Amino acid sequence: MSSAGQQDRAAKSRAAVTGVPDLDALTAFCRHAEECGIESLLTAFGFHRPDPLTLAAALAMRTSRIKFMVAVRSGVCSPTLFVQQVNTVAALSGGRICINVVAGHTPEEQRGYGDFLDHDERYERTDEFLTICRSFWRREPLINFEGSHYRLENGRINLPFLGERSAPEIFLGGNSAEAEQLAIKHADCWWRLPDKPEVLAAKSRALAASGTEMGLLMSICVRPTREEAVRDAYAMVADLGEPPRTAHREFRKHSDSVAFVSTYDLADRFDWLTPYMWTGAVASLGAPAVALVGSPEDVAEGILDLKHAGVSQFLFVGWPDLEQMTTFQRDVLPLVRELECRDETGERKGGTA
Amino acid sequence: MSDALRFHWRLPQGGERAGASRALLASRPESALPDVEYQASFCRTAEDVGIESLLTDFGWSKPDSILLSAAIGLQCTRAKFIIAYRSGLICPTTFVQQLNTLSALIDGRFSLNVVAGHSPDEQRSYGDFLPHDERYARTEEFLAICNAFWHGDGPVNYEGRFYRLENGKVATPFVSSDGAKGPELYIAGNSDPAMQMAITQGSCWMMMADTPAKIFAKCGPVLEARKTVGLRMSVFARPTREEAIAAARAFAAERPAGFDSKSAESRFVTGGDTVGMRKTFELAESEWLTPWLWTGLVRTHGAPTLAIIGSYDDVAEALLEYKAAGVRQFIFSGWPKLDEMVRFGSEVIPRVREAEAAAA
Repeated sequence: MSSAGQQDRAAKSRAAVTGVPDLDALTAFCRHAEECGIESLLTAFGFHRPDPLTLAAALAMRTSRIKFMVAVRSGVCSPTLFVQQVNTVAALSGGRICINVVAGHTPEEQRGYGDFLDHDERYERTDEFLTICRSFWRREPLINFEGSHYRLENGRINLPFLGERSAPEIFLGGNSAEAEQLAIKHADCWWRLPDKPEVLAAKSRALAASGTEMGLLMSICVRPTREEAVRDAYAMVADLGEPPRTAHREFRKHSDSVAFVSTYDLADRFDWLTPYMWTGAVASLGAPAVALVGSPEDVAEGILDLKHAGVSQFLFVGWPDLEQMTTFQRDVLPLVRELECRDETGERKGGTA
Repeated sequence: MSDALRFHWRLPQGGERAGASRALLASRPESALPDVEYQASFCRTAEDVGIESLLTDFGWSKPDSILLSAAIGLQCTRAKFIIAYRSGLICPTTFVQQLNTLSALIDGRFSLNVVAGHSPDEQRSYGDFLPHDERYARTEEFLAICNAFWHGDGPVNYEGRFYRLENGKVATPFVSSDGAKGPELYIAGNSDPAMQMAITQGSCWMMMADTPAKIFAKCGPVLEARKTVGLRMSVFARPTREEAIAAARAFAAERPAGFDSKSAESRFVTGGDTVGMRKTFELAESEWLTPWLWTGLVRTHGAPTLAIIGSYDDVAEALLEYKAAGVRQFIFSGWPKLDEMVRFGSEVIPRVREAEAAAA
């Protein structure tokens, strides 16, 4: 969401984008999402963006239903302070905040935040970070912790997490085995990037025992017909031209994120992961650009295929964002609900799983 | 630059009742809840009566001061915030990113009041185990990095004892229509390291009050470095000195049932390692430090309650005495919170402005 009003943002190099938030555009975007029945909006984390918690606090004052999915990395702030900040946003918004924990994707950017740990150590630290945060959210009276990355003595916060839940829903992002394990241990939902449904199905079986959900971060391009959708998707990539490809080749070289790198690889090997899931924009727009492309019927089918593979939540980027939110709510969602109903009454055979 | 005195006020926390001491408030869950509607209306009143900024406290018992300022800042147009924060809890890059984001949302209407932390006990709750002097050394590094983001050009590289950064970048700049590149930086604390830091990193040394003579004796080096001096204190201004004293004594006599605030405050002070708060606690041996400077609340309500007491004329004169001693800014508390701010703004500030105009 933090890129509202900047449609071509993902096509630019990270150093070239402005980080000045446009509050009115962001507010309009949030309200539109509320009208479209979207549950939450992601406010991402990165040096090239405004701070997600501060944005969420401000936007909470201008909205009434939408939740903010605030991205956070371990290692940039004390877990006590983080919980205090999250609980402050909860108090301001009536609990409309959930968190998306990410471990960071480029050592270079991490070092700008004073973080010099490697990929695996970052996950170990994230584990400690979440262990402490969850103790606070369980309202343990005084929290003591001694780990290799954090140490706390009689940790306490006066402000509880206020809302329907007693703790924010925790999403944990990443495709690596470490991310998966951490999601099972701490999260309500494992956020990952798409893959072939059979690959996802195998992963979801591993998750099932822990009760952790699986969610996908991906894009969406719905048009009245499949032909129009495919044509627009290809045209968008063609219009972007060469510069974004160069920017993403550069980013890929410096990333140690399993999710990002493996998605670039996946996109090199397959143009279509299923009849409706296209990777053609990944080289220009990055890993979150694996997209469901097609008519409303196609995309609804595509979503159900993924549901059968064990995916229960989706975090979409729309091409273009505002318009696709409307289209999704008006044309796609009713079809998805209808297919889900048929599933329940056994009229439709299971999908790819 | 105008040399007019600048007046700020402490923003009441949500759920605060007039009269309750800090130690009591910290023990109550309500003080953690933001009360945006009330707090925003308090800020709008401050705007109307000539108060420049509102201090938003930092502490384990309160909401986060940056995020609270974002929420309230959107509900008013001129009032600024003095955001209290500590080093050692957040990486400087993220801190600057949060503040710059805030600046873009509320047009840079805030300054920072950085404290090194006053209680080892509370710091450890945040995962900070450094002793007093080490905390200052770290805060110095922390602010040097923040200042490099705000006033340097290009990526920030830093290698210190406490922080290491490589090519630190924040794409969101500090945004303010008055052209400032970063927030005004108050350094709070009465110790020498605090004063040194005000000189090296800050724009204002924010001290716990004392008599004008004692303040004058201490603040020479800060003024020489062309930084300003501010006082954190309280005020009781009434039409007559008698009424002011009566109001102060009545306030001091208020005691919530079943709560021994005297011993709670003394525990707060003895459990802390701050120089300013301990010194002020000691000052309270004598009730009046000058004919208008009263210590009667300090031992029960804490160091910031050393108070100027008197008629509107008395208070205005006291402020001008401080001005002559080198003080340029004040952060006040008063009770009842809103009434006192309104009285001060409508009765005392005009008298000060008149005297300042006459002196110019």
